[in-house]
Amino acid sequence: MFILKNAWISITRNKGRNILIGAIILVIACACTITLAINNTASDLINSYSSVYDKELTLSFNRQNMMKDFDIRGEEGREQAKEKFENIATYTIDDIKSFAEVENIKSYYYTYSLSLNGNNIDKAEIETNTPPGGFGGDRGSKGHMNSSMDFTLTGYSSVDSMSEFINGTYTMSEITDNAWEVVFNGNYVFINEELATYNELSLNDKIKLEDEDENTYEFEIIGIFKDNDTEESSMMSMFSNSANTLVTNADALVKIDEENDSIKGSINPTFIIDDYANAETIQKSFYEKGLDETYVVETNQQQAEAGVSSVKNVKSFATTFLIITLLIGGIVLFILNMINIRERKYEIGVFRTIGISKLKLTMQFVSELLLVALVALIIGAGVGATISKPVSNTLLKSEIENSSESREQMQNNFGGPGGNPGEDRGKMPDFNKASGIPSIQAYDSIDAVVDITVISELLVIGLSLVLVSSIASMISIQRFSPLTILKERS
Amino acid sequence: MKNNNKSSKTTKKQDINKDNILLSIQNASYRYSDAEENEYALRDVNYNFEKGKIYAIRGRSGTGKTTLLSLISGLERCTEGSIIFDGKDLKNINLDTYRNSQIGIVFQSYNLLPYMTASENIILSMDASGAKIKNKKQKAIELMQSVGLKESYADRKVLRLSGGEQQRVAIARSLSYNPKMIVADEPTGNLDKQTESEILDIFKKLAHEEGKCVIIVTHSQNVCDIVDEIYDLKKTK
Repeated sequence: MFILKNAWISITRNKGRNILIGAIILVIACACTITLAINNTASDLINSYSSVYDKELTLSFNRQNMMKDFDIRGEEGREQAKEKFENIATYTIDDIKSFAEVENIKSYYYTYSLSLNGNNIDKAEIETNTPPGGFGGDRGSKGHMNSSMDFTLTGYSSVDSMSEFINGTYTMSEITDNAWEVVFNGNYVFINEELATYNELSLNDKIKLEDEDENTYEFEIIGIFKDNDTEESSMMSMFSNSANTLVTNADALVKIDEENDSIKGSINPTFIIDDYANAETIQKSFYEKGLDETYVVETNQQQAEAGVSSVKNVKSFATTFLIITLLIGGIVLFILNMINIRERKYEIGVFRTIGISKLKLTMQFVSELLLVALVALIIGAGVGATISKPVSNTLLKSEIENSSESREQMQNNFGGPGGNPGEDRGKMPDFNKASGIPSIQAYDSIDAVVDITVISELLVIGLSLVLVSSIASMISIQRFSPLTILKERS
Repeated sequence: MKNNNKSSKTTKKQDINKDNILLSIQNASYRYSDAEENEYALRDVNYNFEKGKIYAIRGRSGTGKTTLLSLISGLERCTEGSIIFDGKDLKNINLDTYRNSQIGIVFQSYNLLPYMTASENIILSMDASGAKIKNKKQKAIELMQSVGLKESYADRKVLRLSGGEQQRVAIARSLSYNPKMIVADEPTGNLDKQTESEILDIFKKLAHEEGKCVIIVTHSQNVCDIVDEIYDLKKTK
């Protein structure tokens, strides 16, 4: 008790010094409150935004991995490369099921794609004088599929895998009553409304498709969808990208693929994972389970976080500012404490002479700083809470403006937005669309809130800072000899 | 400068009542940590101090008086030999507890805390000792009165007191937890003759009436005149 009493007496008699220490801690507390509030609120916003997206992991072919083991120079090298390319190891549905057993994978789904020609329907296209090798062709074909076929069939393993419907790229314009009950259980398809119009097709019509060996496959139309993607399929086409895409279930396509050697389908699995940080571990596990190393895993993290990039930048700035504040504040407090101890050497000598132990003396000095810090922290937290909201919103506004200026600058570099009307060559590339990342920010304000979490963190930081800066006094008290101090005084 | 005179000895034969010995210094030597191997500040000292007596330790500058005092008062530990207080070797006891409950120390320069009042200085010492005293302020005033200070001085900052008054406060502080021994380093060095005489009367009273062992390190003949025993420290080659 007398330690606290002495600490209080010491504080009141050294008002100037303690006001200075208090002011420094107040500034640190204020800065910490603001940055912690921004940090926590920004984290909440980022998590909230990211939670809308499943954490997805997909497999993609990596050309560099395939080419790394051989030289393509010379005829022999080129032959080797060709052979290697033609015999790229692929994975089956069984492989995917096996991969899905890896720890950190919560669920999975896949799409199965293959191409077929029309038998009783025509491909939606308008004949043009397209130069050989020009703009035509089916852009929906993927992997090893024969790009000369008329239609791309995309089979989904479950509703979860129907990303185009989930994200609104496709919307159903007509659908049979039992469509969602039967679409995963047989030869049923959804077709693009452009294809339906082109071939005068309607619900419950049956369409026939055929492979290269002229084997025919019949599908019943149970839905007609609209493609909302405004991107043009090609410069010379009036149809959307998905005009010749037929949507069905994966099992139906796997069955067709298994029955005919001439058909080569491709599987695109998507794994839902628990954390993006585990992607590398998962890739390693996939390789151990037999995935060829020409494949790598990719996540949708960038896409999931793109809408909050400005918030992330503000959060990052706040974190950096917090660290710098604590570093500088800590050093200043440490030096002030050292000076304080030197000034109070005589006092320490007297205390030690009358039998106050080093521990009690250290506790008294730390208590003095703690009492001052506590008052400063409370005031600092109050001030910080008041100004954290406008500061955070100003920072975010500035960040968004900077981001817009950068984009405008980029547009200017490419000749300005839109270029000359009617001329595609002058039109600026849409970088964000190309990368699949939205350019619009999800939030235009942060409204940083000082809650119990921020207060708790502030207390922990403040107390840690006080203890660290008290090390000077702790060490000095241990080293001082009372007799030496008092002799110096005499 | 290197001190070539490394040992200290007494000059006076003692008539010792062994049962009455409170503190016994046995072959005590002290060497500073940065000193050379045979360079001692104090060497092979053998003294006994009894309860109810007042002692003077005198000697010229550099003979190790203050060093001896710091060993007796537990501010330092002797590097060789031992100091036995009330049957216990100081090496084996907590010196903080020893200083705050068994021994009172009075310095020439008083060593009071200037930002505290006279009574606060005394109460601080009571607090440090952990002694359970009900009304500490009242006890502090009584102690001040016992050394000749008025009650009205209790709430004065010590810097507003004269040298003699400050020394009285220092003595009152050293008595605050009723120690068995008082050690004083040149307690009258800064005082005039009249005040010196009054302070020495206090020490005599403490030894002869209250049974305390009082050890005074001094150059003053006036002090030597009133003590029961004198120990002379001398440099020897």
